[in-house]
Amino acid sequence: MFSRILKNDLKRKKTMNIILMIFVILSVMFASGSINIMISVYGGIDYFLEKAEMSDCVMLTKAPYDNNPAEDYFENATSVTSYSKETIIFYSAKNLFKDSVKYVEFENPGVITSVDDAKINYFDRNNEVITEIEKGHIYLGGILASKEEVQPGDVIELRIENVTLELTVDGFVKDALLGSPFIGNPRMLMNDEDVRTLLASEKIRNLDCGAIFYAYTDDIKLYEKEISDVPNSMFSSDSSILMLTYMIDMLTAALMLIVSICLILIAFAMLSFTIKFTISEDFREIGVMKAIGLKNSSVRGLYMIKYICISSVGAVIGYLLSRPFEDLLLGSITDKIVIGNDNSVATGIITAIAVVLIIVAFCFSCTKAIKKLSPVDAVRNGETGERHHKKSVLRLYKSRLGSNLFLGLNDVVSKPRQYMSMIITFTITLLLIMLLANTANTLASDKLLFLLGTTRSDVYYNSTDKAMEFMGSENEDRFYEIEDEIKQTMADNGMPCDIHEELMYSIPIEFGDFKSNYMMQQCKDTHTTDYVYSSGTAPLYENEIALSTMILDDLGAEIGDTVILTINDERKEFIITASLVTFNQLGKCGRLHESVDIQPNQAASVHPFQINFTDNPDDAEIEARIEKMQEIFGTDKIYDAKDFVDSSTRSAGPIATAKNLVLMITLMIAILITVLMERSFLSKEIGEIALQKAIGFRSSAISTQHTLRFIVVIILSSIIAITLNIPFTKLVSDRIFAIMGATSGIEYKIIPLEVFVLYPVILAAVVGISAFLTSLFARTINADDMGNIE
Amino acid sequence: MSKVIEVKDLCKTYVVNKKQNNVLKNVNFSIDEGEMLAVMGPSGSGKSTLLYTVSGMDKMTAGEVDFNGKNLSKLSENEMADVRLNEMGFIFQQMYMMKNLSILDNIILPAVKSKKNTESRKETEKRGRSIMHKLGIEDTAENDINEVSGGQLQRACICRSMINNPKVIFADEPTGALNRTSSDEVMNELVDLNKEGTTVMLVTHDVKVAAKCTRVIYIVDGGIQGEYDFQTRYTPEELRLRERNLNNWLMEMGW
Repeated sequence: MFSRILKNDLKRKKTMNIILMIFVILSVMFASGSINIMISVYGGIDYFLEKAEMSDCVMLTKAPYDNNPAEDYFENATSVTSYSKETIIFYSAKNLFKDSVKYVEFENPGVITSVDDAKINYFDRNNEVITEIEKGHIYLGGILASKEEVQPGDVIELRIENVTLELTVDGFVKDALLGSPFIGNPRMLMNDEDVRTLLASEKIRNLDCGAIFYAYTDDIKLYEKEISDVPNSMFSSDSSILMLTYMIDMLTAALMLIVSICLILIAFAMLSFTIKFTISEDFREIGVMKAIGLKNSSVRGLYMIKYICISSVGAVIGYLLSRPFEDLLLGSITDKIVIGNDNSVATGIITAIAVVLIIVAFCFSCTKAIKKLSPVDAVRNGETGERHHKKSVLRLYKSRLGSNLFLGLNDVVSKPRQYMSMIITFTITLLLIMLLANTANTLASDKLLFLLGTTRSDVYYNSTDKAMEFMGSENEDRFYEIEDEIKQTMADNGMPCDIHEELMYSIPIEFGDFKSNYMMQQCKDTHTTDYVYSSGTAPLYENEIALSTMILDDLGAEIGDTVILTINDERKEFIITASLVTFNQLGKCGRLHESVDIQPNQAASVHPFQINFTDNPDDAEIEARIEKMQEIFGTDKIYDAKDFVDSSTRSAGPIATAKNLVLMITLMIAILITVLMERSFLSKEIGEIALQKAIGFRSSAISTQHTLRFIVVIILSSIIAITLNIPFTKLVSDRIFAIMGATSGIEYKIIPLEVFVLYPVILAAVVGISAFLTSLFARTINADDMGNIE
Repeated sequence: MSKVIEVKDLCKTYVVNKKQNNVLKNVNFSIDEGEMLAVMGPSGSGKSTLLYTVSGMDKMTAGEVDFNGKNLSKLSENEMADVRLNEMGFIFQQMYMMKNLSILDNIILPAVKSKKNTESRKETEKRGRSIMHKLGIEDTAENDINEVSGGQLQRACICRSMINNPKVIFADEPTGALNRTSSDEVMNELVDLNKEGTTVMLVTHDVKVAAKCTRVIYIVDGGIQGEYDFQTRYTPEELRLRERNLNNWLMEMGW
């Protein structure tokens, strides 16, 4: 008998059963997909570094091919258990051509490596280790690995010094060391013969060569101390810091994880709704079964068998769909990183089984409602005669609303539990989009200027060429001459201005037994009091210093302690007066007082020239002047404050991409939920729709009424989401910024029109259209279908 | 008396499992304004189908229904909805009402919906309450539909059917779900309504109910087998006599 009832139920309640199955599929898909994402992301970068066989520490040096002073340090350092050296050739954007024109812009020097000399594993886009490259062919990495600039199969030209090579692009390389866009030194992987051709040039051997040292150590602190004096180090790091360079990618993956978790919650909310809805629809059948003597457990068993069948079929489909879903969510990350876990199939299957068990348990708990239904329900149309709380909340005769809007609104407020899952779902959806929009907008605004250790200026002019002119030059005044030249050019072009530049110096710092090299920032033309500190007071005297919280953690020092800096070969004591948070040098940077005697030509890194106009132009004029400056100086690397932040963090883009992806996914989910919910409502409300038709309601009025219910739900969800917007953004994004080094002081850029109007309106439009189209099914319900009323 | 409904060669056919089922076969009759017509017949004879087809709730397969000068078969779905809203009232055996509305809101809903109604919401409410008062259910105005008795609910349904002052009220076994006392009360309301000029067409199994009408048509296998005209309007004193005469006639029809 059970199988017959089950068979009939599956046939008769096709729509509701299909809806139920879709939600099981969604739950399994989201759960299985996101567990794998979780595993991938949790160990993501570790996994990548392990697969790449990355060493414990790494140092990038510049030196003539035949004489690299760093090698002696690695040979003699007691902390180094073993090391390997990868020869590299430096190149810059001006060396690359496509169709005889310079085709790409980047600031830092790139590196060329022979595939035969590779000391770590480099991967192609299919995650295969690149072991061979044909002569005349090339793999591009880092910021060069962009399909917008170049496609596999394209031919590029490399012109360094007096050597020219024509190279066919074979593909893009996933480079564990330099692959992050945060590093900014794009690698090119080439055939050994091609590299030899370049090295045959004496000029290249002497001026453009260097090496990357991959070192293994058991004592990082001692290692840092022993190699802190390497004179030709351009970049030195241990692999834990290297992981931070992938923070934007981790960030995107983490956001995807948050999205997945939210989607699982949504799927479960929907599942709960569907089960409770089905049971409430079946009150008559359940009542009759009880009336003829079936026990609660038997009736419940009947439903459980059905749910187990549906869950099992849904789990298989959901698992199969989880694979492309994972790829979709991780798509933006997997271009750069070998991400994943070797057991993803097993994990997926185990997760799917676990989800089925959870769903069955969940269904079991949802079927508790069966206990409440009695045989009386079957004969009294679901009403036991008890006086329940009032169903009707609003009064039509007191209302000024039109009948359609009134009925839609009254329905939502009269049956809030029925709409609760939808309200929760749409609220989560909106909060997610708002969170990503706020984060992306903040990253692309000038709100984060303080995290870059700069003051606000009208224009930021980034010139690697000009920086290279004074950095390392013998002429101590060259920096000031360049500033004067720029100032004069600006004045000649009707743009009178003041100019200054933040310079970074690589300085060894000692505290107790600890010694390591850190970047110290200084600007001669500003005051230390012009900057933001997280605690303490700005350095006011020459012997005072502010250090980032991450350096203080390294040193084990705190405000009030004294550290020793070696400047101009002289060891000097500095009192720590403040701590700061910064994006610079992955959070490890400090600030020297402007009067500390250190010359600009000793700078290891520079910020852009900061220009403040002295004739007070308005924003539109500044915008126009930026364009004019781009023409005069022949570069597009001239920004206003917000573009400067964006170009420095390089994170607004990926976050905005993630936001768009999430927007797409959530809109699809919203459409699906709306269609399924409206379909459920229609099947439950056939009787009421027929009654409305009988008393003279047009089909269009019924569709409008049903659509307005969803719009009311969206409005309620929007109000909740807008109220929670700031706390939710702070809750999640503060952690995101903390990963990037900004542990406090973030002020979010919220664009009200975009966040509070645009996204709710988009969601309302999508949901409204979906609800309206689905509600057109009401046309097939006739006035004489009232027999279905309950 | 002018004809408010004229039915010509009305046919209704259902196709179930490729099998044609002719529920109504060339039915012809008319209803005069102010008449109270009862449709009787054995189960499955097509009484309810006739009521739903004549009232435009169900589509006819062939024939014509002229309602107050409008050929219903020619009306679009929206025009038909407007006719039902403004010129027809409906009462069903089950007291169908919108669950999330109070009794009063259910009653005034068609008036609020009607574009012909130019009253303010306050005036509509007042009129709704006055109809409820007339039918003796004014105390239930704020109640939910599950908070009143079956009789009260059916009277509320009558109030709703009256709210737009319809030309004709169609009632499908309006007392079928009620006890005798409630049934009498409801029928008395319908009779009063009819006396005030509203045309009523109702389907019933109950001789006591039909005896209160002015005319009865007897339908068998989708066709009208006979017609009984009481000639006079019902008065309580004549009820027994009318019932007896109608019973005799029905016996002749094979009831």
